[in-house]
Amino acid sequence: MSVKVGIPRGMYFYKYYPFIQSFLTELGAEIVPSPETTKEILDKGVLYSIDDACLPVKILHGHVYSLKDKVDCILIPRLTSVSKGEYICPKFGGLPEMVKYSVPDLPPVIDTEINLIKNRNSLIKALYKMAFTLKFRNPISINKSINKALKVHKEFKTALHEGNTPDCIIGGIPKRQCKTNARIGLIGHPYLLYDNFASMSLIKKLRERGVEVITPDMLDQHMINELCMELSKRMFWSSGKSLIGSALFVMDNSSFNGMLALTAFGCGVDSLAGEYIEKQARRYYKKPYMVLNIDEHTGDASFNTRIEAFFDLIHMS
Amino acid sequence: MRLTYPHMGEVYIAVKSMMDDIGVESIIPAFTTNSTLRLGSSISPEAICLPYKIMLGNYINSIKAGADTIIITGSCGPCRFGYYGPLQMQALEDAGYNDIDIIILDPPREGYGKFLEGLKKVAGKNSRRIIPSFINAYKVCSELDSMNELLYYTRPRAFNKAELRILIHEFKKNITSVKGSAQMLELIRDTKRRINAVDIDESLKPVKIGIIGEIYTIIEPFSNLNTEERLGDMGVEVHRSMTVKDWVQNNVILPATGRKGYKLERKLSKPYLPVLIGGHTQQCIGHAVHYAKTGCDGLIQIYPMTCMPEIVSRSILPQVEKNYNIPILYLIVDEQTGEAGFQTRLEAFVDYVSSSSL
Ligand code: SF4
Ligand code: SF4
Repeated sequence: MSVKVGIPRGMYFYKYYPFIQSFLTELGAEIVPSPETTKEILDKGVLYSIDDACLPVKILHGHVYSLKDKVDCILIPRLTSVSKGEYICPKFGGLPEMVKYSVPDLPPVIDTEINLIKNRNSLIKALYKMAFTLKFRNPISINKSINKALKVHKEFKTALHEGNTPDCIIGGIPKRQCKTNARIGLIGHPYLLYDNFASMSLIKKLRERGVEVITPDMLDQHMINELCMELSKRMFWSSGKSLIGSALFVMDNSSFNGMLALTAFGCGVDSLAGEYIEKQARRYYKKPYMVLNIDEHTGDASFNTRIEAFFDLIHMS
Repeated sequence: MRLTYPHMGEVYIAVKSMMDDIGVESIIPAFTTNSTLRLGSSISPEAICLPYKIMLGNYINSIKAGADTIIITGSCGPCRFGYYGPLQMQALEDAGYNDIDIIILDPPREGYGKFLEGLKKVAGKNSRRIIPSFINAYKVCSELDSMNELLYYTRPRAFNKAELRILIHEFKKNITSVKGSAQMLELIRDTKRRINAVDIDESLKPVKIGIIGEIYTIIEPFSNLNTEERLGDMGVEVHRSMTVKDWVQNNVILPATGRKGYKLERKLSKPYLPVLIGGHTQQCIGHAVHYAKTGCDGLIQIYPMTCMPEIVSRSILPQVEKNYNIPILYLIVDEQTGEAGFQTRLEAFVDYVSSSSL
């Protein structure tokens, strides 16, 4: 029987699931992703994580909890760095430990370190290590799986750049062609934007109103890098860089009718990038800009009121 | 150029010593109070970590006193601290404090050239004096550390705690009026002699508590509501895991001679967290283990609300707590931290530690 690997639907799930899914399936493992976030998953996450962790980290804890009795092992890679010279956020580097010491009775955790801070080649090494930990030792099949995964990842990225959101691509939901009456930039971490529970279906709500949504993941990485060159100090967090770069892109681009930012309560990167964006927006941006901050207590009603206000702003300008 | 810098515990003494020796005029920011924090908060993003707000308040106070250049270190491990400078610059501008220059001394990890370049900018024509002044400032830091250790030993044992308090108060007053490292060293040594002369109860076996956590909030007494002094007055012998001298030694001096800093901390934290993730997580965990092994009866972790690296430490520490059977108190500080609840929590913890260490 093949080994059952659980993959929690949190943190960088919406960035790397197609990659890791095809890599492990090709090797011969059975993949079990956790279901979409629910109230119960969030509650378990809140219960089994420390109080002042940020919302996304709590949600991840809930997903791990929901998987723990259903699988042979759980994949929580240590994502120290996913691009050269940049970290993501301190919590990504310490994520396996945070989970291991907080959620009780876990099956083995696969916490292979992915650290591309020096160069990209270490990715291959890390994947070999991950395969070995799962007792797949055939180098030919590992190589084949890596190539497959890289190919799938490339296709995934192409689909993103075409304006699809990762949750739809992963769920196999085709892009609906419908008439749009406005186009906005939506800035935020992937685990907030595409987690329909956490974001209270923000993207869906926007689309239903005929608003075309562009998120950071749909933008070209090189362009984001270039836009971030104007920062007086090099940004060493790739997560923050993607927020700032995307916001600068939206602000520079006249085809957008406005900009929304979705931030998590307690997120250090948001507090910093958000402040930078806010300052720029206040100085140079003439179109509507609004920040929606969410935590585990955010109510649907107040959230919707704010979105309504944003619609009004867009349509007035 | 009228130079200033943020407060962080004894940093002002070290920087003043160095600037005096180089021959640059520097303005010590007014000592941090609640109004400093309010001042800083009023132009800070709400969700930023506490040190940012307090530092900004320090700058404004100094600017009002005539400062026009701020000097700070760049980053302590990749964290928000690394971006304080650029953001605070903007905040000051928006608040109408124009033409303020910030010199950011990036720690040598990013190359010695930059570090020295920053210092040269400060020193101007006196750049020859940089290295000797730096060495003397380091001596001042060492002497301060030894004075603090003496204080940690004496406070719980002193019969008359008020006597000590007056002594320290006088020290703080005098240190700002003496000039240059030589006079400072003299004053510190003299204060040490006076602390030594305080009547103590030699037979007392106080409980020992180690303080770990985020570097700024453990070094700057305002931010932690004077935890060290409160504990000392309750009869606790305090050990603080990070000092200004340690920071300089591990981030400037050791790397300069081709060695890596924080060897012990990295070794001891390895079983719990094998990699560097930013901030001082490894130091926090490493010291927790070290203190547990060397006979501390309890630990207190202090960090600002939403501090990313320390939240990771916070999740790991319960494991250390279990493995070494050492109680840990977690103190999160922010603008709202109230005096009353704080004292009660400390007292309850000290009671608990004392009764379980019998
Ligand atoms: S980037 Fe923000 S939301 Fe994400 S893990 Fe870090 S602190 Fe949490
Ligand atoms: S270590 Fe904590 S307090 Fe320091 S910059 Fe990082 S988040 Fe802020």
